Amino acid sequence: MTDVTYETASGRLESIIERLDSGEAGLRETLELCREGRGLVEFCAGELDAVSQGLDALRLDELVARLES
Amino acid sequence: MAVATASAGIPGSALPGPFGVGEYAAALRDRLRGFAHVQLTGEACDVRLTRARVYFELRDERGAVPCAMWREDFDRLGLAPGALAQGAQVVVAGGCDFYPGSSASSPHFSFAVTGLRIAGEGDLLARIERVRRLLVAEGLCEPQKALARPALPRTIGVVCGERGKARDDVLAGLQRRGWAGRLVWAFAPVQDRHAAPAVGRALSELAALPDVDVAIVARGGGSLADLLAFCDETLCRTVALLRVPVIASVGHHTDRTLIDDVAAVSCSTPTHAAEAAVPLHVGAAREALGRGSARLARHGRRAVADRARVLARLSRAPGEHVARHRRELHQDLRELRASARRRVDAEEAATARRAEALARRAAAAAGPLRTSRERRLDGLAAALAAHDPERTLARGYALVEDAEGAPVTDAGAARAAREVRIRFADGAVQATLKDET
Repeated sequence: MTDVTYETASGRLESIIERLDSGEAGLRETLELCREGRGLVEFCAGELDAVSQGLDALRLDELVARLES
Repeated sequence: MAVATASAGIPGSALPGPFGVGEYAAALRDRLRGFAHVQLTGEACDVRLTRARVYFELRDERGAVPCAMWREDFDRLGLAPGALAQGAQVVVAGGCDFYPGSSASSPHFSFAVTGLRIAGEGDLLARIERVRRLLVAEGLCEPQKALARPALPRTIGVVCGERGKARDDVLAGLQRRGWAGRLVWAFAPVQDRHAAPAVGRALSELAALPDVDVAIVARGGGSLADLLAFCDETLCRTVALLRVPVIASVGHHTDRTLIDDVAAVSCSTPTHAAEAAVPLHVGAAREALGRGSARLARHGRRAVADRARVLARLSRAPGEHVARHRRELHQDLRELRASARRRVDAEEAATARRAEALARRAAAAAGPLRTSRERRLDGLAAALAAHDPERTLARGYALVEDAEGAPVTDAGAARAAREVRIRFADGAVQATLKDET
């Protein structure tokens, strides 16, 4: 999951829902897609939470100084 | 040039002298002043106006020359105040000069300016265009555009002036996106000859931070000269090769600096740059995610429930099939019975009609024989009636019967029976026989 980004996750989620909406997926595939989709929803929600917790403003010079110390 | 007598030269040196330094400096001044007078063009830096003189450096990519101009000559040009500003592109006319200094003052070289023209924007634009063509030819406008830009960056680096309005505009743009992640401010001068290296250094340091997903370079509007730092070739080459996508917003929408060309995205305002850095609206994305999650859950529930309903329907199907066939069979049976009954009735009626016809035909055929037979039968009946005991009883005789109803026809049987029944024509009586013998 290290290469997963919000856009790849949300894109995959859209394709899963599209597949489910088509009604062509069998029971086993549907349940597997639902399980995968729930994982993607959790990932995307985590990404959204990460940029919704409040602005964390840093100064580059202070950050560089901290990293070099 | 006279050789100084105060000091001896360096032993073994083949060079002439030693000469007095003042004499040498004066000779140097004369030699430099003898250089051909020419026109030079470059960018004015470190402009300093005094009451007597105007000092500045003239620079370009390959070198610099210190310039000096008499103040009264400069004022005679009638330039607008501030026209000879930091970074202004100028053309100067003049020649070399050298102040030989003295025991109390330092010598210095300068280009003595006798004429000066502020180069128009056309000159600047032409120079920028040359660099632009060079960058395009080397393919340096493409690498940034090929970088993947995250839809939802967690960390954004921003290069801007610390007190500029661009800073507030970037914040406003991020707020409009509902974004509140990590922001790394890299404050740098955005106007003067220090700006380009400082901005390049800040961008390089931001790109070196592993968490930074995208960088914004923002600066408000200004003259072309003000924005010249963002046309710096070295800065543009630095930006072109960064691993992090850079979103540039320099000047107003009508301005087009070279950093706009090499950056991943060029925006007209810092607010738009911030919105470009976060393509998603966080709130809208959260709502869309909620809708997607609900649809997933609905599909999950339906996947089982719908199939369960189908299975239930299928499981009922055989029973319903049998029941339907049973109803059809019952119906067939009822119709069969009704049909058979109608058939039997019809056959009975036909048979009756045939029997009646046969009877009629038999009667018609056997009429005489029947009459004689009836007559003989009547005779036999009359003969039989003559022997009927009932007729004897009717004439006044009585019939004695034992308990079983058998006739008692002699005295011995009567004695044996003892209990008899005497039957007359009008009824019977029980009698007990008494033997007198």
